[in-house]
Amino acid sequence: MRYDPSLHRTQGLLPLLIALAALIVYPFVFDATYFRHVVILAFVFAIVATSWDLSLGFGGLFNFAHVALFAVGIYTYAILAKTLGFSPWLSILAGGGTAAFVALLIALPVLRLDGIYVILVTIALSQLIYLVVISSSDVTGGTSGMVTLPTLTIGDYRLSRDGRIGYYFVGLALLVANLGFLYWVTRSRLGRSIVALRDNKYYAIARGISEARTRALTLMASAVFTGMAGAFYAAYLRVASPDAFGIGFLTLLLSILLVGGAGTIWGPVLAAFAISVASEWLSGFGAWQNIIIALAIILIVVFYPGGLWAALQELRQAADGARTSLMARWRRRERPAREALTGAPERMLETPHGSIAIADTGGDKPALLFLHGNSACKEAFCKQFRAFSDAYRVISFDYPGHGVSSNADPETSYNIPAYAEIAETVLADCGISEVYVFGWSLGGYVALELAARGNITVKALGITGTSPLNMVPDDFGRGYNPDSHLVLASKQYFSRTESDNYANSATAPISEESAFLHRNLRRTDGRARFYMLGRLGVVDWPRQMRMLREGRIPFAILNGSDDPFLNHDYIARLKYGNLWNGSPQDIPNGRHAPFFNQPDAFNLELFRFLKSADR
Amino acid sequence: MDPITLFSIIKGGLVLGALYALMATGLSLVWTTLGIFNFAHGAFIALGAYVAWQFASADAYGLPLGLALAVTTGVMFAIGAVIHFLLVKPFERRADVVLITVITTLAGSAILENALLLIWGPRSKQIPELVEGTVAVAEFQLAWSEVLLLVVVLAILIGLGLFLRYTRPGRSMRAVSQNREAAQLLGLDVPIYFALAFGLSAVTAGLAGVFVGTIRFMNPAMGAEPLMKALIVVIFGGIARFSSPIYAAFIIGLLEAFSIYVFGLYWAPAVLFLTMIVVLLIKPEGLFGKYQRTL
Amino acid sequence: MADPILQVTDLSGGYDPVQIFRDINLSVGAGESIGIFGPNGHGKTTLLKTLSGLIDPWSGDIRFDGQQMNRSGARGSRRWQNFNYDAITRRRMDPKTVARAGLIHVQQGNLLFPELTVDETLSISTRAASGRQGWSRADVLGLFPRLSERLVHKIRFLSGGERQMVSVAAGLLSAPRMLILDEPTLGLSPKVRSELCDAIVTVRETGLPIILIDQDVAFLERIIDRLYLFDHGRISRVMERDEIPGHEGLMAMLFGEVT
Repeated sequence: MRYDPSLHRTQGLLPLLIALAALIVYPFVFDATYFRHVVILAFVFAIVATSWDLSLGFGGLFNFAHVALFAVGIYTYAILAKTLGFSPWLSILAGGGTAAFVALLIALPVLRLDGIYVILVTIALSQLIYLVVISSSDVTGGTSGMVTLPTLTIGDYRLSRDGRIGYYFVGLALLVANLGFLYWVTRSRLGRSIVALRDNKYYAIARGISEARTRALTLMASAVFTGMAGAFYAAYLRVASPDAFGIGFLTLLLSILLVGGAGTIWGPVLAAFAISVASEWLSGFGAWQNIIIALAIILIVVFYPGGLWAALQELRQAADGARTSLMARWRRRERPAREALTGAPERMLETPHGSIAIADTGGDKPALLFLHGNSACKEAFCKQFRAFSDAYRVISFDYPGHGVSSNADPETSYNIPAYAEIAETVLADCGISEVYVFGWSLGGYVALELAARGNITVKALGITGTSPLNMVPDDFGRGYNPDSHLVLASKQYFSRTESDNYANSATAPISEESAFLHRNLRRTDGRARFYMLGRLGVVDWPRQMRMLREGRIPFAILNGSDDPFLNHDYIARLKYGNLWNGSPQDIPNGRHAPFFNQPDAFNLELFRFLKSADR
Repeated sequence: MDPITLFSIIKGGLVLGALYALMATGLSLVWTTLGIFNFAHGAFIALGAYVAWQFASADAYGLPLGLALAVTTGVMFAIGAVIHFLLVKPFERRADVVLITVITTLAGSAILENALLLIWGPRSKQIPELVEGTVAVAEFQLAWSEVLLLVVVLAILIGLGLFLRYTRPGRSMRAVSQNREAAQLLGLDVPIYFALAFGLSAVTAGLAGVFVGTIRFMNPAMGAEPLMKALIVVIFGGIARFSSPIYAAFIIGLLEAFSIYVFGLYWAPAVLFLTMIVVLLIKPEGLFGKYQRTL
Repeated sequence: MADPILQVTDLSGGYDPVQIFRDINLSVGAGESIGIFGPNGHGKTTLLKTLSGLIDPWSGDIRFDGQQMNRSGARGSRRWQNFNYDAITRRRMDPKTVARAGLIHVQQGNLLFPELTVDETLSISTRAASGRQGWSRADVLGLFPRLSERLVHKIRFLSGGERQMVSVAAGLLSAPRMLILDEPTLGLSPKVRSELCDAIVTVRETGLPIILIDQDVAFLERIIDRLYLFDHGRISRVMERDEIPGHEGLMAMLFGEVT
């Protein structure tokens, strides 16, 4: 299952509240009617575009009659409020109802169709609605439309007074309600079905999702707020004209949707504001206005296929990269504290994968290399540094994007083979050709990869918290417990809660002793997590398993007996050629980091293994 | 209904059908070859009319009509090919190419239409009649311009059909449309054939625009309505093969002419659409369609 | 061996982000033919698609007839899709360029152009390439007499064997300097199969180099000079024709270590 927490558990809520607060304050800062008018239009466009996104972006259903649903809302309001004299407020609600009903009618022929045919048929349907509207001129006013529609009032107060401030807040409320509704729908069972049908139709149907029912519901759900926005638009402008069916309006909304980013809720909202403002700003340029906007749309589609939303994500990624990079630089000054922790001097090494921080106890003893896990740092092994430095030359280093090493190019440096390559560089720099290697979690794979590459003589190989894998990604679900906080391992940005959750599961619950590990987690370059998992495919997994089966290298598995991430049965069932004591060794109560949580038991086991490997 | 009325309805239906066929052929040519819909087709229609006006009208260059048409053909072909390389080719490898090209061609259409507005201004124009006078057999009247339209459209469609069937570039274009990968492996230059399809499509649209421009006043947005009609024709007939929209165009033309006579000008389009939706409910892939697209 | 016509160096590739094959080295001399043998699903077809440019290689070089086929160093663009960054350093290739250089790939189970007739298909394949002596239409119809009777039929209506023959014929008419055949005899009836095999042997006897993938060792031995054993996305062994231990022997080499 995809990890998809609600907004308040991630960092999404705060920016949203800030944006809302800004929109509430806006009309008081800019009290000119014109400024408010532009934003009110943006509200309407945002509602229509995000609703459209439900069927088009999330559902992959190219409903080009969506604009007609908007027009249906307009005319519902016009006829109910003006001709029949209903309450304008009720008429707005009714606009949603009639649009949903028309959406159901549209759904009927569309249920059997796919792809381009949906576009064609929905265009035809929207033209049919258009023709019906202009043909029944006695009801709808034909091509000239209807004017002087009733305005919205509260008691005797007309919302258009005081610089349209009443309309502004009704529009804002409608937008907020619409976004809340969409957020709820996309996270509901229906929303998951919609996406499932888009991504793998036949699989979804085989799993019991009704395509017809889901499609009909998708179209209706996308119509409700569209129709209400149409009614509101009519109440605001006080006209109902068939222009709303035109290709110009369709182009405007489609470009809001695509420029914002299809398949996201927030992207089209952003784009609605951006395009409304840009379009107003350019309105003095006559025909050039449309040309410039069209060119901008093409350029955005070419250079930012994911739209403004993706651009924003890149910006966020760049900001986060800068933040973590600065943090690493800043923390390099705390070297004495780290050296006190490990008892080993720290130095920086320039490699093709950035500058790497190495802790090395030195001396002419047999070398023992520790490789740390995802989002951790070399100091995680501080207890081993102290315990083993008498008999061994203990070495560890921070991966790029971790600890106090610098950030590096995510494309090339944040993956397992790159980490193994760095390990080779580090060992070569230390003048070591034979080494004992111990890897924890992600480091376990780095250790396996290092041994399988065979450029360095590995005299013994130990891992903890790592499931050796034959096939990726197939075996990934088998080797691990998918319900654990491991789902966070590839998540790019951590909120406070997530950061604490992950650190608790991956290392140790926060305490004075483990505080530095928790602190370090927030420095890790989010891209290191994201790219590492995305690049699992570049690792030669069968080679690692061949190496283990051949059993040339003494091999030990020292897992925490209560490791929350691992599927212990899977690890025990694999075939190994030369596994120490014939089976994985459990460290009681070690959790995912037994060397940290149960250092004495762990150190003893590791020491015995290293000794046995020498024989 | 007296024979003269019947004759004029059928005549009107055939003329409409021929125009629709010309518009729809271009649209379906691009769809069958590239698998995308070109929403700038309407703008091509307007552009063709304006270019022809520029060369043919006495107010502008005033070239002889045949020469003006030849120049228009060349210009339209070039513009079609250029539009392909700018608005379609960059997205070829993308999974959502159909949707992306909808938006880029819509944007391209906006650019073209506004460029027309900038270059030729908002004042309505009309292309002089290509030929004048009428021919009358007994009491049945037929304008020479209508005859010319029918003849030219049929000649273009037959010529296009022969090109696709009997020439190497035509056959290669069909091969490219049927199996892009296999065509590449035989060394066919896929982008060139795509550009060719786009160029031919633009030429047919432009010529349709010339005919429309002789019948009605021209304005930069004049392509929108013919584009919708062409879409209906294409949906109605199905887009499986090159020929199906052509039959559909004549059926729709005749249907429209009859329903204008029976239901009046206002309700005729609604009748058309309703017929089309009924057809689609029974046969979603169109009257002559199959799901597989082939040229 | 004189200058090889096809030289593949350290080629790796796959469908991003999953690597399918790695570190492939092949060398085919002029007039030589090679075979690739291996289990299904290990990436042979992906390798061939990479050789003919349908998929961009990740790293490594492909030289054909002294000409570099992949534009090296070109970098793939970063794309943001469904919240996944999807980027890789790629070496762009163009299947058209490869085909025009004379490396012709006949795909597995190729449908070709279902709505074109045999005649039309053969007519678009004929290329009077720059001074290259190729097969003529008459030669090809002589090789596959069956096709002469089917000229006006659409490929859609042909049998599997006939389609395969059209594929090979279309390849031969494209002035090949080397032919890549991907399991040409897959799923054919014995009679059609032996016809097709004989035809391919005839082609081989003209001296045209062939890369052949097939599961039938006897057929492979009639065509090839050298066999590459393909296992888990890499070449695990190379053997000359007289070293091939027969089907059972090859299977033991492939699966021996597991069982």
